[in-house]
Formats: sequence, C-alpha cells, structure tokens
Amino acid sequence: LTRIREIWRVVRYSVVSGAYDYFEIYTLKSWVLGWLVRVLSQITFFALIGRLLDSEAQTHFLLIGNAIVIAAMGGIFALFMTTAERANGTLSLLVASPSSPAIVFASRGVYVTADAAFSALLGLFIVGPIFDLALPWPEVVMVVPLTVLVGFSAYAFSTFLAGLVLRHRESNGLVVNATIVSLMTLCGINVPISFFPEPLEWIASLLPVTNGLEAIRDVLNGEGARVILANAAAEAAVLLGWLTLALATFGRFVGHGRRDGSLEFAS
Amino acid sequence: VRAFAAGFRLQLRVVRSDADYVLPLATVPLFAITFLAIFRHAGRDDLTAYAVMAPVLIALWALALLDSGEIVEGDRWQGVLEPAVAAPASFPVIVLGRILAVTTIGLLSFAEVWLVARLLFGISIEIEHPIPFLLTLAATAFAVSGTAVIMAALFVLSRTPRTFQNSLSFPFYVLGGVLVPVSFLPDWLEPVSSVIFLSWSADLLRDSLDEAAVDDLAARLGAVVLLGAVGFAIGYALLARILHRARSHGTLDLV
Repeated sequence: LTRIREIWRVVRYSVVSGAYDYFEIYTLKSWVLGWLVRVLSQITFFALIGRLLDSEAQTHFLLIGNAIVIAAMGGIFALFMTTAERANGTLSLLVASPSSPAIVFASRGVYVTADAAFSALLGLFIVGPIFDLALPWPEVVMVVPLTVLVGFSAYAFSTFLAGLVLRHRESNGLVVNATIVSLMTLCGINVPISFFPEPLEWIASLLPVTNGLEAIRDVLNGEGARVILANAAAEAAVLLGWLTLALATFGRFVGHGRRDGSLEFAS
Repeated sequence: VRAFAAGFRLQLRVVRSDADYVLPLATVPLFAITFLAIFRHAGRDDLTAYAVMAPVLIALWALALLDSGEIVEGDRWQGVLEPAVAAPASFPVIVLGRILAVTTIGLLSFAEVWLVARLLFGISIEIEHPIPFLLTLAATAFAVSGTAVIMAALFVLSRTPRTFQNSLSFPFYVLGGVLVPVSFLPDWLEPVSSVIFLSWSADLLRDSLDEAAVDDLAARLGAVVLLGAVGFAIGYALLARILHRARSHGTLDLV
C-alpha cells in the first residue's frame, strides 16, 4: 500500500509539473489565438479536400479523422518532455532518483494529452457543423471518452518511443513529426486502412488511433453498441499494450544510457 | 555580395550539422502519400497535380517557419549575436543569405514528391509548361525567403517563438490554397488570400502541370514577386530597427 501511495505521489507531482511546463508555453490568449486557430485550420484544411472532391461523405470522413488525430498529436508531442528534461539538466537527477523514470515520463505529458483531447473535441464540435456534419444527440456524448482514449493510447505509444530515443536527442524532432504524419497516413484518418496493402493494414490495427477512430465513426454513423464497444476495446488493448511495453523497456533503455554515458553527453 | 555568400555557405554547414534542420523534408514523402492516397481512393487521378505540389509548398513554408525564423533567435541563444552584429558586414544581408540557403534546400522537396509519386503510385509527373513552372518555383523561393525575414525579426521579439511556429502553419495552408484552391473558401476570405503569396504560387504551379495554357503568367508571377519584395522590405526594416534599438539600449543579448 505504501508503494502504491508513493507511486501515486510521483504521478501527481509529475502531472502538476507537466502542467506548469505547458503553462510556460501557452497563455490563455496564445492558446486561443495560436493553438486553437491552428487546430481549426488543420481540420478545415482536410475537410476542404472533401469539398474539392465534391463529396459530402469524403468531407465528413476527412473532418472526423483529422479532428480526432489532434488528440493523438498531443500524446505524441509529449515525447518532447524527455528532450526538455535533458535540456534542463534534470534527466540525470531523475535517473539517479529512487523512483522510476518511466512513471515520471508516463505522467508528465498527461496534461498535454488531456489538453489535446479537449482541442480535438472543440475542433470537431466547431468545424463539424460548418461542414454540415450531423452530431446525433445523445449518442455524440460517447465521442468524448473515446477521444480521450485515443489521446492516451497515442501517449502510451509516445512513452514507449521516449525510451527508444532517450539516448538520441538529435532524433527527437524527427521521431515526433514522422510519427504524427505516419499516423495520419496509416491509421484510417484520411483513407480507410483497407486502401493500403494487407501488412500495412495489420500494422495500422496495432497502432494508436485506428480502432478508437473507427469507434467514433461508428458512433456518428449510428452503428450498434456492440460494434462500438468492440472497436473501443481494441483501442484500450492497444493502449495497455504500448503502456506495458513502455514500462517494461524503459528501465533497460535508461540502464544502457547510464552504462555508456549517452544519457547526458550524446549529441 | 561576399557577406551574402558567406551567410549562404554558413547556413549550408549549419544545416548539415543537425538533422532537425531538414525535418520538414522528412515529412514531405508522408504528406505526398497522404494526399495522393486521398485522390487515388476517391478515383480522382485528375487532381494529382494538387497532391504533388502541396507538399512542396508545405515544406518551403515549414522550413521558413522552423529554420529561417529561428536564425536570429538561434544566434542570440548561442551567444554569437553580439559579435555578428558588431562585425563590419551588414547583419541583415548575412541573414538574407542564410534564409535563401534554407529555401534552396527546401526545393529538394520536389524531387522527393516526384520519387514518391513514381515509386509508390506509378505516377509520372509531367510538367506541361516547364518555363512557367521554373519561373514560379524561383519566384516562390524568393517570396518565401522574404516572408521568412519577417518571421526571423518577429521571433526575436516573441517570448515563445514555438507558439508562432506551431500556429502559423495550417492557417496559411488554408488561406494560401496550398492544396484546395481559394475559390473553395468563402468569398469574404478571398481578399485575405490574395495578399498571401502562396495562393498565387499554388495556382501557378498547378496550372504549370496542366495541359491547358497558363493564363496571365506575367501578372501572376509579378504578384508573387511583389508580395515577396514587400516581405523583404518589411522584414529588413523590422530587423534593422530591432537591432538598432537593442544596440542603443545595450540589450542586444536580451532583446
């Protein structure tokens, strides 16, 4: 019980410190005029492709996919926390402390991810009606927890990637951006995953976003509860899978870094 | 000219030292796959020109935001801004040279898109009007560099340039008609789009790949060059003013 209490304490402080980091980046004004405008523009950019194709179904498909991927983007952005930890000179202190760095990294980006899920929902509910997307009440309420699930699924994946790139600071930016655009390409956001060859379709089903987004499309298309739950359960399984992998491998990656000094001194 | 060339060479070396500088080039193939997949899935291969030119413009804009925009701020962070400004060569001219180097690197994105279209989608990009195409690319490179000078100056004044970098991408891709022409936007937005050089460049590049003749080439190219020149003039004046003020007040390192 004491152990759980200690872990909870580390989680709590990590979440709070992550939130303060975020407040340093955005004030309310710059969040609304900067970030939110970007989110709305990003969703509009892709929804307009549907207009170019002269297809309402395509417009709505692209709009929903690109709204929900905002939640995943936030989860992946959290990977920058490791770089920040190194840049601030606190990574070695964190590694030397008795608590697990994996728990800290798995908690510090919670605020960023929650904020991204909120942004995704705001984007869907603002841009959706502009493009005549039907949001059936009360079923649409289900979209809220499903979007949060997608965000945290991406965050679990990002925490695993954080362990991988911990010793290679120079590749962080590349990993973050390539991961986001790869998810946008592969995970059924812009075209159904069946468009790609079967092996890629299989990989996509193991990545965050794919199943959760499908569940959200099911909700908005009025599918039955069983189909929605099956896709939601698959997304939850993906989340747990990546989180388990992250917790299982993080210590090993940190250990390598401690042995060869690459945690602090690599480029 | 020597200061300009030195700036150009310096930036090429800087870019070679860190992969982060060419980050937008790494995402170009993925954007190309996404756009080509959307049009292929919809059975609209007639829109291929739209899908292949958009990633090029996105890369040029992103490089202006991420690399060019950070040039002055980066110098300040590394503690080399003071000696660079104190040197006899004109600092804004060196910055111009460095920005143009970044833009030149950005033009490699067209080769990436060409390869993706050819290898993954079996599409051979035919440039129906090569001279208008090359002139438009050159004018666009000029205009994006001009806009980047404004960004370089503004980011110095900003407490968090990252906020700008994160925010100034998609709004301009929409207003600039990078993928979907501005005629699909509400009428009241068209005057805004017309002062964004991307809207002229995107239309011209798409028209250069189309079989039909390119109408009003000179006037449209002139609009891109004019907007680029206005960008250069504003950016140069801003940069000179910011530096003069900082030197007068002794706050160069704390602008």
